[in-house]
Amino acid sequence: MAASANQFLLFWDKSRRSFVLAARSLWLHKLRSFLSVLGIIIGTGAVITLMAFGEGSMHDALEDIKRQGATNVIVQSVKPADDSTSQRRSFIAAYGLTYADYEQFLILDCIVGSVPMRYFPQEIRNLHRMYNGRVVGTTAAYRNVNRLELVEGRFLIDSDEVSEPGDDNDLRNVVVLGADVAETLFPFQSAVGQTIVLSKHHYVVVGVLKDRSPITNSGGSAEEFNSDVYIPLSTCRGRFGEKVYIRQSGSRSGEQVELHQVTLTISDIDKVRDAGAVIRDQLERSHLKRDWRVVVPLDRIEEARRAKTRGMVLLFVIASISLSVGGIGIMNIMLATVTERTREIGIRRALGAKRSDITLQFLIEAVVQTTAGGILGALAGISLVFIVPWAGETLFSINVPARLNHEPIILSMSVAILVGIVFGLYPAFRASRLDPIEALRHD
Amino acid sequence: MYPVVRIEHLTKNYYLESVTVRALRGVTLTVNQGDFVALMGPSGSGKSTLLNLLGCLDRPTDGRYILGDDDVSHMEDDRLSEIRSRYLGFIFQSYNLLPQYTVVENIEVPLLYQGCRINEKTQQRCIQLAQLVGLGDRLDHRPMQLSGGQQQRVAIARALVNDPHVILADEPTGNLDSKTSDEIMQMLIRLNDAGKTIIMVTHENDIAAWAKRVVRMRDGQIETDERNATPKVAQDVSSAFVATLNSLLVDSVR
Repeated sequence: MAASANQFLLFWDKSRRSFVLAARSLWLHKLRSFLSVLGIIIGTGAVITLMAFGEGSMHDALEDIKRQGATNVIVQSVKPADDSTSQRRSFIAAYGLTYADYEQFLILDCIVGSVPMRYFPQEIRNLHRMYNGRVVGTTAAYRNVNRLELVEGRFLIDSDEVSEPGDDNDLRNVVVLGADVAETLFPFQSAVGQTIVLSKHHYVVVGVLKDRSPITNSGGSAEEFNSDVYIPLSTCRGRFGEKVYIRQSGSRSGEQVELHQVTLTISDIDKVRDAGAVIRDQLERSHLKRDWRVVVPLDRIEEARRAKTRGMVLLFVIASISLSVGGIGIMNIMLATVTERTREIGIRRALGAKRSDITLQFLIEAVVQTTAGGILGALAGISLVFIVPWAGETLFSINVPARLNHEPIILSMSVAILVGIVFGLYPAFRASRLDPIEALRHD
Repeated sequence: MYPVVRIEHLTKNYYLESVTVRALRGVTLTVNQGDFVALMGPSGSGKSTLLNLLGCLDRPTDGRYILGDDDVSHMEDDRLSEIRSRYLGFIFQSYNLLPQYTVVENIEVPLLYQGCRINEKTQQRCIQLAQLVGLGDRLDHRPMQLSGGQQQRVAIARALVNDPHVILADEPTGNLDSKTSDEIMQMLIRLNDAGKTIIMVTHENDIAAWAKRVVRMRDGQIETDERNATPKVAQDVSSAFVATLNSLLVDSVR
């Protein structure tokens, strides 16, 4: 036990000498060392940077999907392609999900929550102020599904809906404003308790939403949040009817859509896909036209994961190529070093160095070089991870998501060390096999 | 008289493609402890080959070589390295210091390979050795910053640090002017006076005149082997030098 500890200490002494020597010669030949480890620097830097950007966009995409809810199934109305022969004269397009469809969905026992919604563009007025926003008729559950936060007041509540359908006298005219709407109509004052006008009817503001950027590029649902106002679905139905007229550059077009979107929450994540399939099936049978669409965010998570795996494989290939190129650079410079220092090897051998001592010395030099390269590469990569998003933001106002994890840093550093060992082994071995007499005569 | 080096019928052949070069053709030689042997001969006489064999840098084709108590004729490479690090000191014509190391670090090298831990004590010893050879004020200099004579002194200190059985010197004054040569030879004489065994290759009669015994070689064999009746004597053999050297070497970690 004591003997092996001593052995280790001796080994440590020799290694330390070699480390110091390697560091010294690294410093002495700064440019040469830099050029020879450039491959390693680029390799490590590229891995760290690409991983961070990949991770960042992946994270963003996943967040996006999670916001839509992994246990949700979103059913949307889609305006079908114009059927020019039969519908030519018709100026109101009727399509989409109906209340009947909605009732049908709720029969499924795995559905624990549902949010129906309608939306259409509408002028929102307060005295002389006007905002071209969107009216969204929905229920109280909308808030939870979209994780909305309020700055003041409350969101819609269940008692805002009329108990008996068709009882027009009992419609409650309450509204929750999006952040932009509140800002425009009620600047520098509290909106809650005030009144706005939507198409001749007055509504009392009961709440204002916190500023919330819309979900980007998720393709699925149509939410804008900031320019929306929310009213109870029953009120929406009673006051606006089923037909909506849209004025577009002079011409008027109309559409008749009962529900634009229904978000269904499924009890169990395992049942989401099946529920999606059942709903698709049901709509397939009840609709003549394909005026609907079923979006299952869970599918997109899987898709994103697959894309990530593909990206990782690609990255792995890039990394192995650049690191082996770097390794060959190291091997090249180490072979040159061995030739250059043949005499030194002869001297060391004459003074009692074993072959293994020589191997160890040159191996350590190679590892010190690649490790230095790895550190430089990591620093370069980390700075890029910070610089690129900043530059993208300030110069081109593009959002470049980046997430720096410690795994790729550790991984690429250890690979750099490994490259030093693998590609340093042959030159070190060559050095150790030199004949001491020949080596001493070399100049 | 204790024989430190015993070689018997040593032969060494080199095989160059189809030609066999018989560099040594049966050399028998015994060197006693405390002797100072000058090995002379024209080039191609086999003296360098003999020195390489004596230095355990090469193995003989045939014959026996006993260094101290070890038969090193057919040892494997790692064992030979160990023998070199423990029992042999080398002084070369071109000094052969390691250019990246300072004076003290150069002196330490044999200890490192001997399997000796480098610590305060060993470092102190290296510094004292450097002082002994007159380089006390140049401990942190690199070889490039030293003159030839100073470099050779570092090499001498390095050859002493492991307290070797034999110091092998290969034309130690070959690259030096006559004044510096004189200084180096005086130093070797002092080491010899302190009991160190020295085998030195030279082709200058002047230099050989310092040795106690002169062995002349020709065509791979010993031609003459005679005692030098009146070797040159060092001018100022201070007993202090010998005492310091001995005290330093007694400490040596073996």
